Amino acid sequence: MSGLTFRIKRTEPAIMMVIALTLLIIIIGFFVNERFGTIRNFLNLFEQMAPLGFLALGQTFAVLVGGIDLSIGAVVTASNVLLAGTVSGNDAMMMPALILVLAFGAAFGFMNGWITVATGVHPLIVTLGTASVLQGLVLLYTLQPTGSVPFWFEEFAYGRVFGFPISGFVMLLCFLAVGLFLKYSQTGRAVYAVGGNPEAARLNGIRNNRITILAYAASGFFAALAGAYFVSRTGVGDPRVGDPYTLASITPVIVGGCLLGGGRGRITGVLLGVFMISLLNNLLNYINISTFIQWVIQGLIIIIAVAVYVDRRKKP
Amino acid sequence: MIELNNITKTFPGVKSLDAVTFEAKAGEIHALLGENGAGKSTLIKTIAGAYIPEEGEIIFDGTTRNWESPKQAKDAGIHVIYQELMLFPELSVADNIFIGKEPRTRFGQIDYKQMHMQAREILDRLGHVLAPSETVKNLTVADQQMVEIAKALVGDTKLLVLDEPTAITSGREAAVLFERVNNLKEQGVCIIYISHRLEEIFEIADRVTVLKDGQYVGTKNITDIDKDRLVGMMVGRELSDIYPTKSKRADDVPVLTAHDLSLTPRVKSVSFELFPGEIVGLAGMVGSGRSEVAHALFGSMKRDAGSVTVNGAPYNTPTPKKSIELGIGFLTEDRKEQGLLPLLDAAANITAPGLGEISTNAIISRDKEFVIAENEIQRFAIAIPGPRSDVWNLSGGNQQKILFARWARVCHRVLILDEPTRGVDVGAKVEIYKMIRRLAGEGIAILVISSELQEVVGLSSRVLVMREGVMTGELSGQDVNEKAIMRLATLQDAA
Amino acid sequence: MTTFGSTIAERSPGLVDVTVQKWALPAIFCGLLIFATVISPSFLSVSNFQNVMTQAAPLMIVVIGQTFVILVRGLDLSVASLMATVAVIATAFNTQDNTMIPVIFISAILLCTIVGFINGWLVTKRNVSPFLATLAMMIVLQGLRFYYTQGAPAGVLPEGFRHLGTGKYLGIPANIIACILLFVFLTFVLEKTVFGRKIFIVGGNPTSADLVGINSHNVTITCYIICSIMAGIAGLLLVGFVGTVDNFVGRGYELDSIVAAVIGGVALSGGKGKLLGAILGALILVVLFNIVIIVGLPVQAQLVIKGVIIIGAAAFFARKTRG
Repeated sequence: MSGLTFRIKRTEPAIMMVIALTLLIIIIGFFVNERFGTIRNFLNLFEQMAPLGFLALGQTFAVLVGGIDLSIGAVVTASNVLLAGTVSGNDAMMMPALILVLAFGAAFGFMNGWITVATGVHPLIVTLGTASVLQGLVLLYTLQPTGSVPFWFEEFAYGRVFGFPISGFVMLLCFLAVGLFLKYSQTGRAVYAVGGNPEAARLNGIRNNRITILAYAASGFFAALAGAYFVSRTGVGDPRVGDPYTLASITPVIVGGCLLGGGRGRITGVLLGVFMISLLNNLLNYINISTFIQWVIQGLIIIIAVAVYVDRRKKP
Repeated sequence: MIELNNITKTFPGVKSLDAVTFEAKAGEIHALLGENGAGKSTLIKTIAGAYIPEEGEIIFDGTTRNWESPKQAKDAGIHVIYQELMLFPELSVADNIFIGKEPRTRFGQIDYKQMHMQAREILDRLGHVLAPSETVKNLTVADQQMVEIAKALVGDTKLLVLDEPTAITSGREAAVLFERVNNLKEQGVCIIYISHRLEEIFEIADRVTVLKDGQYVGTKNITDIDKDRLVGMMVGRELSDIYPTKSKRADDVPVLTAHDLSLTPRVKSVSFELFPGEIVGLAGMVGSGRSEVAHALFGSMKRDAGSVTVNGAPYNTPTPKKSIELGIGFLTEDRKEQGLLPLLDAAANITAPGLGEISTNAIISRDKEFVIAENEIQRFAIAIPGPRSDVWNLSGGNQQKILFARWARVCHRVLILDEPTRGVDVGAKVEIYKMIRRLAGEGIAILVISSELQEVVGLSSRVLVMREGVMTGELSGQDVNEKAIMRLATLQDAA
Repeated sequence: MTTFGSTIAERSPGLVDVTVQKWALPAIFCGLLIFATVISPSFLSVSNFQNVMTQAAPLMIVVIGQTFVILVRGLDLSVASLMATVAVIATAFNTQDNTMIPVIFISAILLCTIVGFINGWLVTKRNVSPFLATLAMMIVLQGLRFYYTQGAPAGVLPEGFRHLGTGKYLGIPANIIACILLFVFLTFVLEKTVFGRKIFIVGGNPTSADLVGINSHNVTITCYIICSIMAGIAGLLLVGFVGTVDNFVGRGYELDSIVAAVIGGVALSGGKGKLLGAILGALILVVLFNIVIIVGLPVQAQLVIKGVIIIGAAAFFARKTRG
């Protein structure tokens, strides 16, 4: 068996499909609008896809251990408001506040994981509940956009190094780090084991509870990172900024071939999923399709993605 | 090496281990024997830290170690090969073999090159050709079993527990396994070996401990005991008291014929006939396609080919619903996953396949349901307060009787029983055998699927044997014995 | 983590726990009523009671449907989106002619049946997780609705609709009557009929269901259809109550209905729960929201309370059912 056929055989069908769709979108794009195929547009795309990338990374952790994180939107909002609110003119606070916010995200995720493990309640309900509490607290704190960050922090969202967007670069770095972690660390392998067969994982000496909690903490961390990104993009803390992102974070994960129920999924798949969906939105904007139809398309993509990778295993 | 003192472990409704004492030495192969439901699996899981006993102490390697998690037991050098496969279907063979024990480079990351090399070496030692990079879900069951065994050869194992490792492996692989196990023994590893096959025990074990109904019966040197006395220890009574007299055909016209039944890849062209009043055994290794034959007959799995007649009339597109209407019942193998309705009461459990019978105009009559259930509870002597009681906290035997009552009600032609006494104590077992015999006496054709050869031999007047999806033979009358069945099931001499 | 071999025991409570579970809900509900009355005596007046009930009626109807789906181990996130879509349909005819009401009703129910069927079909025949299938349905419906209305629904309703939403018969608000009728009828279906028994068998153990000759797919699909139809009826009543249509009629009901069912002791793992419990759960939720207002807390505090309650209730039932 030659090396090449071997590789293709082992590549997940999900990834093949995403690649095919991505190519299709690019080809259509070239014909539809001359500005679509420019380097400039692709660089912009990398800038735009950063937040979705962060969120999808977080959601991937939750999905891999067999759960789901519906508190992502609330954590985005909370960290967004917290960051802008804490700094609010006091530029010296910027870095401490950023660290604080990332720590907050991780801690919140940790709490999600802990509640899930300790009570045995389905993570869907747990994260829905904690999200509701967090969103409520944020809205109690402020109903209006609030706070500010120093001007230089906007570099995170808009800055370019040698023409390449910083945010896109940070996102790729995060994907690389997570990919290496999942592939080359014992803990990373354990994430797959716990999601794939919890009982077997336990009997193989894996501490399931720790792994689960860790996964939710990672999810919270990346949501907070996205929250910080949005501050840098708009300069204020918006108490509703995260609303659409809980659901948005799920689509690329599913499209990228992760199995809801756990134990299967690759980081490259998720990255391709993020890229494909951002590309699609980008294209739809160029050809002036209404946002509303974009929603329909998004819904259909989810259905097609999961209905194609039918899996006979138990549903969550 | 390991000592268990007065271990007690209870589950709702059952005392699974009752003050059990057990001890095994380094460098010995210690067989653990007992009927289904005797408490062997619970004992193993206690050793492995998967269950925490209510009472008693575990002494391992000279120190008292009351595990709180499987990880502690694992770290101490205990490895268990469970009967059920503990694999991760989406991960590779090498990943599975080394899970939690991956070789690492000096930077701390997993060394895949090393891991694949070691995996290949271990698989080679087991005499098995398997690509370490293959995803486990794509393997056959036998290959998956090999992966499970390979896991035991990683790292520093001091105590190795094998729970029926040869139940699904073929003769050649079993020979390799025995050789490996003997090597480990010589290296000073303590091995606890569980098997249903007594021949195997006499072949490799040094000592044997017998459990019965959750209690310790005794420990013997293998040289000090023979097969009959061992069986006596396991069941606690004479064999002739356990099995009823054999049934005879009530009619020479078959009630059900199956011709060239196929369910790819598990069943290949299987043909047989069932006669009224006759108990027929269906034997074979786990994975030989026994259960699939039953599913294909009953309609709960879709077969690819074959023709079936019931009472002479063709019955070729089976569904469970139609089968029930034709008077075919199917007591499935897995009581919890495929049988019991744990959230419903006994009456609802018993009447589930016959909702039409307890309703008028689609409205259920609680009274009718109650009366029917009450009758069945009496008929099968089920120890339960009443038809409205819960079923989840009953003993395994009584749960099984509930399901028996369920199927005995609807089937008037054929009853298929898949592992009818799994997880049931000896007392209930004898009762269930009597029930089976009684139903046969009423003229029902019965097909018993079982991995306990004794059971097949004790009950059936005719035995069909399968191997790897093919019917390898049919035994009847005096030819029905364990040795003959084993020979057909593995296609080699069991001696 | 569940341990091997004791799953059945874990799911079923002991005798004392049964009593606790049976009376916990009514007790909490009464406690809330007393609390509300103490801090604001006018709470227990007939008019306020009617007011609370009128608010609660659409939610209760949605919860009834949601319960059917949860009983067969499902979940329906598309209910709120469906409510709004039905509301848009009600105004799409743009007529004040009362004779059009049956036409509106029939077209709405027809749409709901199709939506429910697709949800159920995806879940059973395509083995899509209920969460994803209904989530996708929610987004698709939302997109189609917005596209049709171009973001700003217009159109008028037949006068009769206002009656359904706000009218009274024998002094009882019409939507409460509708709610009670549906509740009684569907409780009968669930508790007394063969179909109801099938739902519990399928929810409790789908594999067993298939083996005893029950077509678990058909039962499940029917439950999704019932859920969608309930959402549609709730949407029409809500439109009648509010009088105007926007694209977000029923917003938040998907989560509120799940929260209410969970509070009401309907097990998300399927096969266990009563409509009465779910209805009580919805009432508790609505009364709590009212108390937040009475006490003078900002509306946003409702979110906090809702979150705490759903986790608390789910943990309570999860712990109890683990024995």
